[in-house]
Amino acid sequence: MASFARSSLLRQTLAPRPFLQKNVGVSQVVAFHASAKKQILPPLPQSVEGTLNDPAPIPETHPSEGSYHWTFERAVCVGLVPLTIAPFAAGSLNPVMDAILCSLIVAHSHIGFQAAIVDYFPPKRVPKFRTTCNWLLRAFTLTTAVGLYEFETNDVGVTEALRRIWTA
Amino acid sequence: MASLRTTSRLFAASRPMFRPAFARTYATVEPTPSENPKMKTFKVYRWNPDQPSEKPQMQSYDLDLNKTGPMMLDALIRIKNELDPTLTFRRSCREGICGSCAMNIDGVNTLACLCRIPTDTKSESRIYPLPHTYVVKDLVPDLTHFYKQYKSIKPYLQRDTPTEDGLEFRQSPEDRKKLDGLYECILCACCSTSCPSYWWNSEEYLGPAILLQSFRWLADSRDEKTAERKAALDNSMSVYRCHTILNCTRTCPKGLNPGRAIAEIKKMLAV
Repeated sequence: MASFARSSLLRQTLAPRPFLQKNVGVSQVVAFHASAKKQILPPLPQSVEGTLNDPAPIPETHPSEGSYHWTFERAVCVGLVPLTIAPFAAGSLNPVMDAILCSLIVAHSHIGFQAAIVDYFPPKRVPKFRTTCNWLLRAFTLTTAVGLYEFETNDVGVTEALRRIWTA
Repeated sequence: MASLRTTSRLFAASRPMFRPAFARTYATVEPTPSENPKMKTFKVYRWNPDQPSEKPQMQSYDLDLNKTGPMMLDALIRIKNELDPTLTFRRSCREGICGSCAMNIDGVNTLACLCRIPTDTKSESRIYPLPHTYVVKDLVPDLTHFYKQYKSIKPYLQRDTPTEDGLEFRQSPEDRKKLDGLYECILCACCSTSCPSYWWNSEEYLGPAILLQSFRWLADSRDEKTAERKAALDNSMSVYRCHTILNCTRTCPKGLNPGRAIAEIKKMLAV
Protein backbone atom coordinates (compact mmCIF):
# COMPACT_ATOMS: atom_id res chain seq x y z
CA MET A 1 0.00 0.00 0.00
CA ALA A 2 3.04 2.18 0.33
CA SER A 3 3.33 2.89 -3.32
CA PHE A 4 0.70 4.47 -5.50
CA ALA A 5 2.37 3.10 -8.61
CA ARG A 6 2.25 -0.49 -7.35
CA SER A 7 -1.47 -0.54 -7.68
CA SER A 8 -1.91 -1.89 -11.19
CA LEU A 9 -2.63 -5.26 -9.63
CA LEU A 10 -4.21 -3.77 -6.53
CA ARG A 11 -6.68 -1.87 -8.66
CA GLN A 12 -7.57 -5.12 -10.33
CA THR A 13 -8.67 -6.47 -6.96
CA LEU A 14 -10.39 -3.38 -5.72
CA ALA A 15 -12.36 -2.93 -8.91
CA PRO A 16 -15.77 -4.67 -8.86
CA ARG A 17 -15.21 -8.21 -10.08
CA PRO A 18 -17.76 -10.85 -10.93
CA PHE A 19 -16.85 -13.14 -8.00
CA LEU A 20 -17.43 -10.33 -5.55
CA GLN A 21 -20.93 -9.64 -6.83
CA LYS A 22 -23.56 -10.82 -4.47
CA ASN A 23 -25.54 -13.37 -6.44
CA VAL A 24 -22.44 -15.13 -7.78
CA GLY A 25 -20.91 -15.18 -4.32
CA VAL A 26 -23.96 -16.84 -2.84
CA SER A 27 -24.02 -19.58 -5.44
CA GLN A 28 -20.33 -20.18 -4.80
CA VAL A 29 -20.99 -20.49 -1.10
CA VAL A 30 -23.79 -22.93 -1.77
CA ALA A 31 -21.53 -24.99 -4.03
CA PHE A 32 -18.84 -24.94 -1.40
CA HIS A 33 -21.17 -26.45 1.16
CA ALA A 34 -23.18 -28.73 -1.08
CA SER A 35 -21.49 -31.87 0.21
CA ALA A 36 -21.69 -31.00 3.88
CA LYS A 37 -25.42 -30.43 4.36
CA LYS A 38 -26.06 -33.69 6.21
CA GLN A 39 -23.08 -34.66 8.26
CA ILE A 40 -23.35 -37.76 10.39
CA LEU A 41 -21.21 -36.50 13.23
CA PRO A 42 -20.62 -32.78 12.56
CA PRO A 43 -17.52 -31.41 14.29
CA LEU A 44 -18.18 -29.75 17.62
CA PRO A 45 -16.97 -26.24 18.39
CA GLN A 46 -13.36 -26.29 19.45
CA SER A 47 -12.72 -26.91 23.13
CA VAL A 48 -9.35 -26.97 24.86
CA GLU A 49 -8.93 -29.11 27.98
CA GLY A 50 -7.06 -27.21 30.68
CA THR A 51 -4.78 -24.36 29.74
CA LEU A 52 -2.90 -24.07 26.48
CA ASN A 53 0.31 -25.16 28.20
CA ASP A 54 -1.07 -28.37 29.72
CA PRO A 55 -0.17 -31.59 27.91
CA ALA A 56 -3.00 -33.66 26.47
CA PRO A 57 -4.18 -36.27 29.02
CA ILE A 58 -2.29 -39.57 28.88
CA PRO A 59 -4.68 -42.55 28.80
CA GLU A 60 -4.38 -45.45 31.23
CA THR A 61 -2.25 -48.42 30.27
CA HIS A 62 -4.53 -51.15 28.94
CA PRO A 63 -2.52 -53.91 27.18
CA SER A 64 -5.57 -56.09 26.52
CA GLU A 65 -6.92 -53.27 24.33
CA GLY A 66 -3.47 -52.26 23.15
CA SER A 67 -0.40 -54.39 22.59
CA TYR A 68 -1.88 -57.82 23.48
CA HIS A 69 -4.90 -57.07 21.34
CA TRP A 70 -2.72 -56.08 18.39
CA THR A 71 -0.43 -59.11 18.74
CA PHE A 72 -3.42 -61.44 18.93
CA GLU A 73 -5.02 -59.80 15.91
CA ARG A 74 -1.84 -60.18 13.85
CA ALA A 75 -1.41 -63.81 14.97
CA VAL A 76 -4.97 -64.59 13.84
CA CYS A 77 -4.33 -62.88 10.47
CA VAL A 78 -1.10 -64.76 9.88
CA GLY A 79 -2.63 -68.05 11.03
CA LEU A 80 -5.55 -67.70 8.63
CA VAL A 81 -3.32 -67.74 5.55
CA PRO A 82 -2.03 -71.35 5.83
CA LEU A 83 -5.31 -72.56 7.31
CA THR A 84 -7.20 -71.29 4.26
CA ILE A 85 -4.81 -72.89 1.77
CA ALA A 86 -3.89 -76.12 3.59
CA PRO A 87 -7.15 -78.12 3.33
CA PHE A 88 -7.32 -77.61 -0.44
CA ALA A 89 -3.60 -78.06 -1.03
CA ALA A 90 -3.40 -81.21 1.08
CA GLY A 91 -6.70 -82.51 -0.28
CA SER A 92 -7.61 -83.96 3.09
CA LEU A 93 -10.52 -83.00 5.29
CA ASN A 94 -9.82 -82.80 8.97
CA PRO A 95 -12.60 -81.74 11.35
CA VAL A 96 -10.06 -80.31 13.81
CA MET A 97 -8.51 -78.11 11.10
CA ASP A 98 -12.01 -77.06 10.06
CA ALA A 99 -12.86 -76.11 13.64
CA ILE A 100 -9.69 -74.02 14.02
CA LEU A 101 -10.33 -72.29 10.69
CA CYS A 102 -13.92 -71.45 11.66
CA SER A 103 -12.99 -70.09 15.08
CA LEU A 104 -10.22 -67.95 13.59
CA ILE A 105 -12.58 -66.54 10.96
CA VAL A 106 -15.08 -65.64 13.67
CA ALA A 107 -12.38 -64.01 15.81
CA HIS A 108 -10.94 -62.16 12.81
CA SER A 109 -14.23 -60.68 11.70
CA HIS A 110 -15.18 -59.77 15.27
CA ILE A 111 -11.92 -57.84 15.74
CA GLY A 112 -12.37 -56.15 12.36
CA PHE A 113 -15.87 -54.90 13.05
CA GLN A 114 -14.87 -53.90 16.57
CA ALA A 115 -12.12 -51.71 15.11
CA ALA A 116 -14.71 -50.00 12.91
CA ILE A 117 -16.91 -49.29 15.96
CA VAL A 118 -13.95 -47.91 17.95
CA ASP A 119 -12.97 -45.72 14.98
CA TYR A 120 -16.31 -44.22 14.09
CA PHE A 121 -18.36 -44.09 17.31
CA PRO A 122 -16.40 -42.16 19.92
CA PRO A 123 -17.73 -42.82 23.43
CA LYS A 124 -17.72 -39.09 24.20
CA ARG A 125 -20.07 -38.28 21.32
CA VAL A 126 -22.37 -41.32 21.07
CA PRO A 127 -21.90 -43.43 24.22
CA LYS A 128 -25.27 -45.25 24.02
CA PHE A 129 -25.04 -45.97 20.32
CA ARG A 130 -21.53 -47.32 20.77
CA THR A 131 -22.66 -49.69 23.53
CA THR A 132 -25.57 -50.82 21.36
CA CYS A 133 -23.24 -51.47 18.44
CA ASN A 134 -20.86 -53.44 20.63
CA TRP A 135 -23.68 -55.68 21.93
CA LEU A 136 -25.09 -56.09 18.42
CA LEU A 137 -21.65 -57.17 17.23
CA ARG A 138 -21.36 -59.69 20.07
CA ALA A 139 -24.78 -61.07 19.22
CA PHE A 140 -23.86 -61.41 15.54
CA THR A 141 -20.53 -63.04 16.38
CA LEU A 142 -22.26 -65.53 18.69
CA THR A 143 -24.89 -66.32 16.06
CA THR A 144 -22.18 -66.86 13.45
CA ALA A 145 -20.22 -69.11 15.79
CA VAL A 146 -23.30 -71.20 16.62
CA GLY A 147 -24.27 -71.37 12.94
CA LEU A 148 -20.80 -72.52 11.91
CA TYR A 149 -20.81 -75.10 14.75
CA GLU A 150 -24.14 -76.48 13.52
CA PHE A 151 -22.88 -76.53 9.95
CA GLU A 152 -19.73 -78.38 11.00
CA THR A 153 -21.45 -80.98 13.19
CA ASN A 154 -24.73 -81.63 11.33
CA ASP A 155 -23.65 -80.90 7.74
CA VAL A 156 -20.55 -81.27 5.56
CA GLY A 157 -18.53 -78.37 6.99
CA VAL A 158 -17.07 -75.20 5.51
CA THR A 159 -14.15 -76.68 3.57
CA GLU A 160 -16.18 -79.47 1.99
CA ALA A 161 -18.98 -77.05 1.12
CA LEU A 162 -16.51 -74.70 -0.61
CA ARG A 163 -14.97 -77.61 -2.50
CA ARG A 164 -18.40 -78.72 -3.73
CA ILE A 165 -19.32 -75.20 -4.83
CA TRP A 166 -15.95 -74.87 -6.57
CA THR A 167 -16.28 -78.15 -8.47
CA ALA A 168 -20.03 -77.82 -9.12
CA MET B 1 17.91 13.59 25.37
CA ALA B 2 15.75 16.60 26.00
CA SER B 3 17.96 18.88 23.98
CA LEU B 4 18.10 16.33 21.17
CA ARG B 5 14.35 16.13 21.03
CA THR B 6 14.07 19.89 20.87
CA THR B 7 16.46 20.01 17.97
CA SER B 8 14.59 17.34 16.11
CA ARG B 9 11.35 19.19 16.67
CA LEU B 10 12.90 22.33 15.32
CA PHE B 11 14.00 20.31 12.34
CA ALA B 12 10.55 18.93 11.80
CA ALA B 13 9.06 22.35 11.98
CA SER B 14 11.43 23.68 9.39
CA ARG B 15 11.09 20.68 7.08
CA PRO B 16 8.32 22.00 4.76
CA MET B 17 10.62 24.79 3.73
CA PHE B 18 13.02 22.30 2.10
CA ARG B 19 10.40 20.05 0.57
CA PRO B 20 10.65 20.09 -3.24
CA ALA B 21 7.59 20.71 -5.33
CA PHE B 22 7.56 17.13 -6.69
CA ALA B 23 8.33 14.35 -4.22
CA ARG B 24 9.12 10.74 -5.07
CA THR B 25 8.07 8.43 -2.32
CA TYR B 26 9.27 4.82 -2.51
CA ALA B 27 10.81 2.51 -5.06
CA THR B 28 8.03 1.35 -7.35
CA VAL B 29 7.05 -1.79 -9.19
CA GLU B 30 7.11 -1.06 -12.90
CA PRO B 31 3.48 -0.88 -14.04
CA THR B 32 4.04 -2.01 -17.64
CA PRO B 33 2.80 -5.55 -18.34
CA SER B 34 5.40 -8.09 -19.44
CA GLU B 35 5.71 -9.25 -23.05
CA ASN B 36 4.01 -12.63 -22.83
CA PRO B 37 2.18 -12.70 -19.52
CA LYS B 38 1.66 -16.19 -18.11
CA MET B 39 -1.47 -15.55 -16.11
CA LYS B 40 -2.40 -18.27 -13.66
CA THR B 41 -5.43 -18.35 -11.40
CA PHE B 42 -5.00 -19.13 -7.72
CA LYS B 43 -8.11 -20.01 -5.76
CA VAL B 44 -7.60 -19.42 -2.09
CA TYR B 45 -9.80 -20.42 0.85
CA ARG B 46 -11.02 -17.33 2.67
CA TRP B 47 -12.73 -17.12 6.02
CA ASN B 48 -12.76 -14.12 8.28
CA PRO B 49 -13.42 -14.60 12.03
CA ASP B 50 -14.62 -10.99 12.21
CA GLN B 51 -17.62 -12.00 10.08
CA PRO B 52 -18.40 -15.39 11.63
CA SER B 53 -21.84 -15.60 10.02
CA GLU B 54 -20.36 -15.48 6.52
CA LYS B 55 -19.49 -18.85 5.17
CA PRO B 56 -15.98 -19.60 3.92
CA GLN B 57 -15.47 -19.17 0.20
CA MET B 58 -12.84 -19.52 -2.49
CA GLN B 59 -11.44 -16.26 -3.80
CA SER B 60 -9.49 -16.23 -7.05
CA TYR B 61 -6.42 -14.18 -7.80
CA ASP B 62 -4.65 -13.89 -11.15
CA LEU B 63 -0.89 -13.61 -11.14
CA ASP B 64 1.64 -13.31 -13.95
CA LEU B 65 4.02 -16.22 -13.41
CA ASN B 66 6.82 -14.33 -15.20
CA LYS B 67 6.89 -11.85 -12.34
CA THR B 68 6.34 -14.40 -9.56
CA GLY B 69 8.93 -16.58 -7.85
CA PRO B 70 8.86 -20.32 -8.49
CA MET B 71 7.21 -21.46 -5.25
CA MET B 72 3.64 -21.30 -3.98
CA LEU B 73 4.81 -19.21 -1.04
CA ASP B 74 6.14 -16.60 -3.49
CA ALA B 75 2.72 -16.47 -5.12
CA LEU B 76 0.98 -16.10 -1.74
CA ILE B 77 3.36 -13.36 -0.61
CA ARG B 78 2.85 -11.56 -3.93
CA ILE B 79 -0.93 -11.80 -3.55
CA LYS B 80 -0.66 -10.37 -0.03
CA ASN B 81 1.72 -7.58 -1.08
CA GLU B 82 0.11 -6.50 -4.31
CA LEU B 83 -3.44 -7.80 -4.60
CA ASP B 84 -5.05 -8.32 -1.23
CA PRO B 85 -3.39 -7.32 2.04
CA THR B 86 -6.15 -9.07 4.03
CA LEU B 87 -5.05 -12.57 2.96
CA THR B 88 -3.70 -14.31 6.05
CA PHE B 89 -1.20 -17.16 6.22
CA ARG B 90 1.76 -18.24 8.32
CA ARG B 91 5.27 -18.18 6.91
CA SER B 92 8.70 -17.69 8.28
CA CYS B 93 11.82 -19.32 6.87
CA ARG B 94 10.80 -19.75 3.19
CA GLU B 95 13.14 -22.79 2.93
CA GLY B 96 11.27 -25.70 4.50
CA ILE B 97 12.80 -25.74 7.96
CA CYS B 98 10.24 -23.93 10.13
CA GLY B 99 7.05 -25.70 9.09
CA SER B 100 4.91 -22.56 9.35
CA CYS B 101 3.51 -22.52 5.83
CA ALA B 102 1.95 -26.01 5.91
CA MET B 103 -1.26 -25.96 3.87
CA ASN B 104 -3.27 -28.02 1.42
CA ILE B 105 -2.19 -27.11 -2.10
CA ASP B 106 -3.94 -28.77 -5.05
CA GLY B 107 -5.19 -31.50 -2.74
CA VAL B 108 -1.88 -32.35 -1.10
CA ASN B 109 -0.71 -31.23 2.33
CA THR B 110 2.67 -29.63 1.87
CA LEU B 111 4.81 -26.66 2.74
CA ALA B 112 4.04 -23.74 0.43
CA CYS B 113 7.73 -22.84 0.37
CA LEU B 114 8.71 -26.30 -0.95
CA CYS B 115 5.86 -26.58 -3.46
CA ARG B 116 6.56 -25.42 -7.01
CA ILE B 117 3.78 -23.57 -8.82
CA PRO B 118 2.59 -25.88 -11.63
CA THR B 119 3.57 -24.10 -14.85
CA ASP B 120 0.36 -25.20 -16.56
CA THR B 121 -1.52 -21.91 -16.69
CA LYS B 122 -4.77 -23.43 -17.96
CA SER B 123 -5.59 -25.18 -14.71
CA GLU B 124 -6.06 -23.18 -11.55
CA SER B 125 -4.31 -23.91 -8.26
CA ARG B 126 -6.44 -24.36 -5.19
CA ILE B 127 -5.08 -23.55 -1.77
CA TYR B 128 -6.81 -24.59 1.45
CA PRO B 129 -5.76 -24.65 5.10
CA LEU B 130 -4.71 -28.02 6.55
CA PRO B 131 -7.74 -30.31 6.35
CA HIS B 132 -9.88 -31.12 9.39
CA THR B 133 -8.37 -28.40 11.56
CA TYR B 134 -10.11 -25.53 13.30
CA VAL B 135 -9.35 -22.47 11.16
CA VAL B 136 -8.23 -19.29 12.87
CA LYS B 137 -8.38 -17.22 9.69
CA ASP B 138 -7.98 -17.93 5.95
CA LEU B 139 -5.04 -20.36 5.74
CA VAL B 140 -4.11 -20.34 9.43
CA PRO B 141 -5.11 -23.53 11.30
CA ASP B 142 -5.32 -23.86 15.07
CA LEU B 143 -2.66 -26.38 16.15
CA THR B 144 -3.23 -26.07 19.91
CA HIS B 145 -4.27 -29.69 20.39
CA PHE B 146 -1.42 -30.90 18.18
CA TYR B 147 1.12 -29.14 20.40
CA LYS B 148 -0.62 -30.34 23.57
CA GLN B 149 -0.31 -33.90 22.28
CA TYR B 150 3.35 -33.29 21.49
CA LYS B 151 3.85 -32.15 25.06
CA SER B 152 2.11 -35.26 26.41
CA ILE B 153 4.78 -37.60 24.98
CA LYS B 154 7.51 -35.80 26.97
CA PRO B 155 9.73 -34.93 24.01
CA TYR B 156 12.98 -34.57 25.93
CA LEU B 157 15.77 -36.80 27.24
CA GLN B 158 14.74 -38.54 30.48
CA ARG B 159 17.66 -40.02 32.35
CA ASP B 160 18.62 -40.57 35.98
CA THR B 161 22.11 -42.12 35.86
CA PRO B 162 24.91 -39.61 35.35
CA THR B 163 27.73 -40.25 32.91
CA GLU B 164 31.11 -41.63 34.04
CA ASP B 165 33.00 -38.47 33.26
CA GLY B 166 30.11 -36.19 34.21
CA LEU B 167 30.36 -34.37 30.90
CA GLU B 168 27.87 -35.56 28.33
CA PHE B 169 25.71 -38.55 27.40
CA ARG B 170 27.67 -40.26 24.65
CA GLN B 171 26.25 -42.41 21.92
CA SER B 172 27.87 -44.83 19.46
CA PRO B 173 27.64 -43.91 15.76
CA GLU B 174 25.33 -46.92 15.27
CA ASP B 175 22.95 -45.69 17.97
CA ARG B 176 23.05 -42.22 16.51
CA LYS B 177 22.18 -43.65 13.12
CA LYS B 178 18.88 -44.98 14.54
CA LEU B 179 17.70 -41.38 14.94
CA ASP B 180 18.23 -40.50 11.28
CA GLY B 181 14.90 -39.99 9.55
CA LEU B 182 13.32 -39.14 12.93
CA TYR B 183 15.06 -36.04 14.23
CA GLU B 184 14.52 -34.14 10.95
CA CYS B 185 10.79 -33.77 11.60
CA ILE B 186 9.80 -30.09 11.85
CA LEU B 187 6.28 -30.73 13.23
CA CYS B 188 4.50 -28.98 10.37
CA ALA B 189 1.44 -31.25 10.95
CA CYS B 190 1.12 -32.09 7.24
CA CYS B 191 1.11 -35.85 7.98
CA SER B 192 -1.24 -35.77 10.97
CA THR B 193 -3.82 -33.67 9.15
CA SER B 194 -3.69 -35.97 6.11
CA CYS B 195 -4.50 -39.05 8.22
CA PRO B 196 -8.17 -40.11 8.15
CA SER B 197 -7.76 -41.82 11.51
CA TYR B 198 -6.52 -38.53 12.93
CA TRP B 199 -9.46 -36.73 11.33
CA TRP B 200 -11.95 -38.94 13.18
CA ASN B 201 -10.10 -39.42 16.46
CA SER B 202 -7.72 -36.51 16.90
CA GLU B 203 -8.90 -36.13 20.50
CA GLU B 204 -7.20 -39.35 21.59
CA TYR B 205 -5.18 -40.75 18.67
CA LEU B 206 -1.78 -39.11 18.67
CA GLY B 207 -1.33 -39.01 14.90
CA PRO B 208 1.72 -39.75 12.75
CA ALA B 209 3.79 -36.65 13.57
CA ILE B 210 3.57 -37.13 17.33
CA LEU B 211 4.12 -40.89 17.03
CA LEU B 212 7.23 -40.28 14.92
CA GLN B 213 8.53 -38.08 17.71
CA SER B 214 7.47 -40.68 20.24
CA PHE B 215 9.57 -43.26 18.42
CA ARG B 216 12.45 -40.80 18.20
CA TRP B 217 12.63 -40.89 22.01
CA LEU B 218 11.93 -44.62 22.24
CA ALA B 219 14.80 -45.28 19.82
CA ASP B 220 17.24 -43.00 21.64
CA SER B 221 19.94 -45.11 23.33
CA ARG B 222 20.50 -42.43 25.99
CA ASP B 223 16.88 -42.33 27.18
CA GLU B 224 16.12 -44.44 30.27
CA LYS B 225 12.33 -44.13 30.49
CA THR B 226 11.54 -46.44 27.58
CA ALA B 227 9.24 -48.59 29.75
CA GLU B 228 7.23 -45.57 30.89
CA ARG B 229 7.01 -44.24 27.36
CA LYS B 230 5.76 -47.60 26.12
CA ALA B 231 3.20 -47.85 28.94
CA ALA B 232 1.82 -44.43 28.00
CA LEU B 233 1.20 -45.63 24.45
CA ASP B 234 -0.20 -49.07 25.35
CA ASN B 235 -3.95 -48.47 25.01
CA SER B 236 -6.54 -48.72 22.28
CA MET B 237 -6.40 -45.10 21.12
CA SER B 238 -2.89 -43.62 21.26
CA VAL B 239 -1.16 -45.83 18.67
CA TYR B 240 -3.55 -48.50 17.47
CA ARG B 241 -5.92 -46.20 15.61
CA CYS B 242 -3.22 -46.27 12.91
CA HIS B 243 -4.53 -48.52 10.16
CA THR B 244 -1.45 -48.21 7.92
CA ILE B 245 -3.19 -45.90 5.46
CA LEU B 246 0.25 -44.30 4.82
CA ASN B 247 -1.10 -40.90 3.77
CA CYS B 248 1.47 -39.59 6.24
CA THR B 249 4.44 -41.03 4.37
CA ARG B 250 3.07 -39.96 1.01
CA THR B 251 2.48 -36.35 2.05
CA CYS B 252 5.55 -35.61 4.23
CA PRO B 253 7.23 -32.56 2.65
CA LYS B 254 10.52 -33.52 4.29
CA GLY B 255 10.48 -37.02 2.81
CA LEU B 256 10.30 -38.78 6.19
CA ASN B 257 8.42 -42.00 6.90
CA PRO B 258 6.06 -41.66 9.88
CA GLY B 259 4.27 -44.87 8.82
CA ARG B 260 7.43 -46.87 9.38
CA ALA B 261 8.01 -45.23 12.76
CA ILE B 262 4.50 -46.25 13.88
CA ALA B 263 5.15 -49.80 12.66
CA GLU B 264 8.35 -49.85 14.72
CA ILE B 265 6.41 -48.65 17.79
CA LYS B 266 3.89 -51.46 17.28
CA LYS B 267 6.74 -53.97 17.02
CA MET B 268 8.37 -52.60 20.18
CA LEU B 269 5.09 -52.83 22.08
CA ALA B 270 4.29 -56.31 20.78
CA VAL B 271 7.52 -57.99 21.89
